[in-house]
Amino acid sequence: MTTGGALRVGLAQVDSRLGDLDENLARHLARIEEARAAGVELLVFPELSLTGYRLLHLTPRLALAPQRSPHVARLAAAAAGMTVVVGLVEEDENGTLHNSALVLQEGAVVHTHRKVYLPTYGIFQEERFFARGRSLGLVPIAGGKLGVLICEDLWHAELARRMALGGAKLIVVPSVSPGRVGPGPVPENSDTWEVLTRSTALLNTCWVAYCSRVGWEEGSFYPGGSHLVRPGGEVAARAPFLEEHLLVAEVDLREADRLRFRLPLLDDERTDVVGPA
Amino acid sequence: MRRGEVAARLQLNAPLAVAVLTDFVRDAVENAGAAGVVVGLSGGVDSALAAALAARALGPERVHGFLLPYRTSTADSAAHGRLVAEQLGICCKGFDISPMVDAYFAQAGAADRVRLGNKMARERMAILFDQAKALGCLVLGTSNKTEILLGYSTVFGDNASSLNPLGDLYKQQVWQLARHLELPEVVVAKPPSADLWPGQTDEEDLGSDYPTADEVLYLLYDVGLTPAEVVERGYPQAAVDGIVQRERQNRFKRRLMLIARLSGSAINLDQEIPRD
Repeated sequence: MTTGGALRVGLAQVDSRLGDLDENLARHLARIEEARAAGVELLVFPELSLTGYRLLHLTPRLALAPQRSPHVARLAAAAAGMTVVVGLVEEDENGTLHNSALVLQEGAVVHTHRKVYLPTYGIFQEERFFARGRSLGLVPIAGGKLGVLICEDLWHAELARRMALGGAKLIVVPSVSPGRVGPGPVPENSDTWEVLTRSTALLNTCWVAYCSRVGWEEGSFYPGGSHLVRPGGEVAARAPFLEEHLLVAEVDLREADRLRFRLPLLDDERTDVVGPA
Repeated sequence: MRRGEVAARLQLNAPLAVAVLTDFVRDAVENAGAAGVVVGLSGGVDSALAAALAARALGPERVHGFLLPYRTSTADSAAHGRLVAEQLGICCKGFDISPMVDAYFAQAGAADRVRLGNKMARERMAILFDQAKALGCLVLGTSNKTEILLGYSTVFGDNASSLNPLGDLYKQQVWQLARHLELPEVVVAKPPSADLWPGQTDEEDLGSDYPTADEVLYLLYDVGLTPAEVVERGYPQAAVDGIVQRERQNRFKRRLMLIARLSGSAINLDQEIPRD
């Protein structure tokens, strides 16, 4: 890993084949090699990247228990020398299913984030098929810590806040966001997401890496639009819409430190004023 | 939201909408491993737009247009269908459905114009599905959101398809995209008609012009206003009432498999298995 806090991040804006673990594993392995060739140190895949999103009653058939899954073992081995974040239907030690992201390092699972907020409204049905995650964790990397939040988790601002207060300088957000087209030049949901990622980066003085998928499921499209936001809220790099893309960019984690010195929002946090107004 | 604002809200970013809908057709056809699509060319704007999107998605050689006139169909319908096919560079075959339709009613006895029109619509779709089988293709749907919500279609006739790029577009959005793609103005500008009997027009059948129907449906269905709130925004009471009634009466056409549940694992109720 590069010294001085600089980290080469890759956002794998991919399509997943719904319910086809073997095909999706092969695509992940190919992308990992592509990213390695590009010097990527942290590679992020979208939410539920190994299975596809809209599984409904197929969900239990696609579940993987990471500690005994050959698919996860293949990925972890392939990720040697890098940090890789992948999405899957996780079967936990009690046989309960979660919408999870695994952080893989040096051939092992070093962190599991179970999606805390499961959207169950409109087109979304996640509470029907998944159990809620109940905890947050941070992963040490050179130059700082990173946190993983999955899609809807970012809409509940307290989670990113708690991660930033815990020392996260980079929040990684694997996502799947159904696209909508209106009068504007970019998909409406993508516009909304950028408001959210930039606000998160500004309010928490941290980097935000948003990785969103492309492709179609059941007549609904996913527009992509993955992007990386600097601490302070400026978009540093952006993938195109509607096509697969590996977005590679440098993240200087010390930029968060420098901003936090000038804009000490986290230091100023009033933990004594909490709860409903 | 007042009337003028509603119309503005229904405007799409046309290049983005075309890019997305083109990608939809390409993805569905590639996923199915199909050779292309077949589409009935009625001479109207819906089938013209659907065919244009498919031609962009797949290349014109993978889009097969069909003219399926009945003996009372206007000459314009076939001429406009041909015009669209020529502009898009897609092949265009024809079958006269009169012998099949007439043979049935010769045995079944005379019928009113609605039954006759339904039979024509189903005969056309039967031919399109057969041609799709012969060509290894999918049937491209051409029903728009206004028609689907109002149930202005024949069950298992024009509302049957393998994939439909227009089903989430209100009629004025169809017009907008058709003009963006520079489809023949004579096709885009003419009064919409199912052409199931002489002189038929959609707007007379529906009791409302399309811009009004689109905007009322948008406010009721997309925004979630009550009918009274829609009327308060300046839409005629009679038009709103008619649209509310049509939408309610025709919901069954949007959910075609009604299965009696016995098991606790009933198809589409207990077991929602994605089709993709």
